[in-house]
Amino acid sequence: MDPSLLYTSSVVSIVGAVSLWMMLRSGRTSIKAVGAVIGLGVFGWFVSNAGLAIIGEEVAPDAFFLIFSLIAIASAVRVISHPVPVYSALYFVMVVISSAALILLLEAEFIAFALIIVYAGAILITYMFVLMLAQQSSDPENPSGRAEYDVNPREPGAAAVVGFIMLALLSSMVYGGMNSLPAAPTPEEVAKQSWQKLDELPLKRDEVLEKVAPGASLQVGENEASVKFHEDGRPYFVVLPPDSNQTVEVELPDDYLPSNVELVGLDLIAKFPVSLELAGIILLMAMFGAVILARRQMELAEDELREAAGMAKIGFDHPEAGGSGDRGGQTP
Amino acid sequence: MMMQLAQSVDFSTVQLGHYLITSSILFTLGLVGFLTRRNMIVMFLCTELMFQAAAIAMVAFGRYHGDLSGQVFVIFILTVAAAEAALALGLVVLLYRRKETLNAEAWSELSEI
Repeated sequence: MDPSLLYTSSVVSIVGAVSLWMMLRSGRTSIKAVGAVIGLGVFGWFVSNAGLAIIGEEVAPDAFFLIFSLIAIASAVRVISHPVPVYSALYFVMVVISSAALILLLEAEFIAFALIIVYAGAILITYMFVLMLAQQSSDPENPSGRAEYDVNPREPGAAAVVGFIMLALLSSMVYGGMNSLPAAPTPEEVAKQSWQKLDELPLKRDEVLEKVAPGASLQVGENEASVKFHEDGRPYFVVLPPDSNQTVEVELPDDYLPSNVELVGLDLIAKFPVSLELAGIILLMAMFGAVILARRQMELAEDELREAAGMAKIGFDHPEAGGSGDRGGQTP
Repeated sequence: MMMQLAQSVDFSTVQLGHYLITSSILFTLGLVGFLTRRNMIVMFLCTELMFQAAAIAMVAFGRYHGDLSGQVFVIFILTVAAAEAALALGLVVLLYRRKETLNAEAWSELSEI
C-alpha cells in the first residue's frame, strides 16, 4: 500500500478527532462552534473533489450520497455531543432517516423502509419512553435541568484519540484497497440477475407468463433457465401459444421484474431458514427477558405465601389484630 | 500529500469505498460516544449508531457484489438491535429504580478494580 495514503488519512483523522474533542468537552459554546467549523471543513475537503464532479452532467445520485452522508455524520456528532439525552435521541432519528436514504440509493428499498419503521418508529420510541420515565425532576439548585453527568463527558481527549486511531486504520485500509473493490454493477446486470431468480419463484413466473402470453404454456428444456436473453440482454420466454404448435419468443417488459422485496424474501427463506428461526427465538427470549426485568419484585413473607396458596396461617396473630385475626385466612 | 490522495481516489462516481468510509465514520462516532457519554441510555443509543453503520456497510457490500445476502443480514442486525434495545432498556429502568440516577459511574463498584 502507498504509505502516503496512511499519512494522509491519519492527518484527516487527526483534524477530525481534534474538532470532535472540541465539540465534546464541556465548557464554552464558542469552542464547540470552532470544533464544528473545523469538522465541517475537514468533511468539505473530503468531498470537495467530488463537488466538482457534481456540477458535471448526470451525477445526481452522487450529490444525494454526499448530502445524506453529510447529514448522517453531522447528526451522529450531535448525538454524542448534545447534553440533553432527548435531543440526542431525536438526532439519532435524523441519522436513521439519512442512512435509510443512503440505503435507498443502494437500491435496497425494503431494508430502507424497514430501518425507518423499526428504528425510528419502534426502537426510538422505546428509548424516548425510558428517557421520559427516568427524567430528573426539576432541581432548584440546577435550573437548566441538565444532569451533571450529561454535561461533563468522561475523558473526551482519550476517546478522541481512540476514535482517531480507529478511523485512520479503517480509512487507510479502505483507501488502500479502493481500486480493487468491485465497481457498481450496471442496471442491465442487475436486471439480468433479477430475471435469473424467476425460476426460484414459480408462482411469480406463472403470473408473468399469464400477463405476457395469456393461455400459453412455457417451453423449458431440462436444466435450462426459463428466462433466456437476446444478444443485447433483453429477456424473453419461449412459449407455445394455445392455438398453434409453433413455439414463439415473447419479450418480457421491465414492469414484471421481480421486486426487491420478493428477492430479499426469497433469499431470506431459501438461504437462511435456520437463521430466521433463530432470530425468532432471540426475539422471543428478549421479550421474556424484558417482561421478567420489568416485573416489580414482591417480597412475600411466609404467611402471605401460605395465604396465597389457600392454606391456613401458621404462627400467632398480632395482638392488635384483635378478634378478627383470621381474616380471610380460611376462605377457600 | 493531500493531492496524492485526491489523485489516487476517483471521486467522480460514488463507489463502494465511499459507503465504507461513511460507515466507518459513523461507527467511530458511535464508539467515541460510547466511551465519552456517562448517561446509560445515551451509551446504548451509541451502540445503535454502530449497528446503523454496520447495516450501511452490509447493504453496500451486497449491492456492489450483486448479492442480496447483505440485505438479509441487515434484517438479522435489526432483530439483534431490537432485542438488545428491549433488554438494555429494561435493565436501565431497573438500575434507575435502585439509585435514582442514570449515571453509569454510579455503578463503578461492579468493577473489579
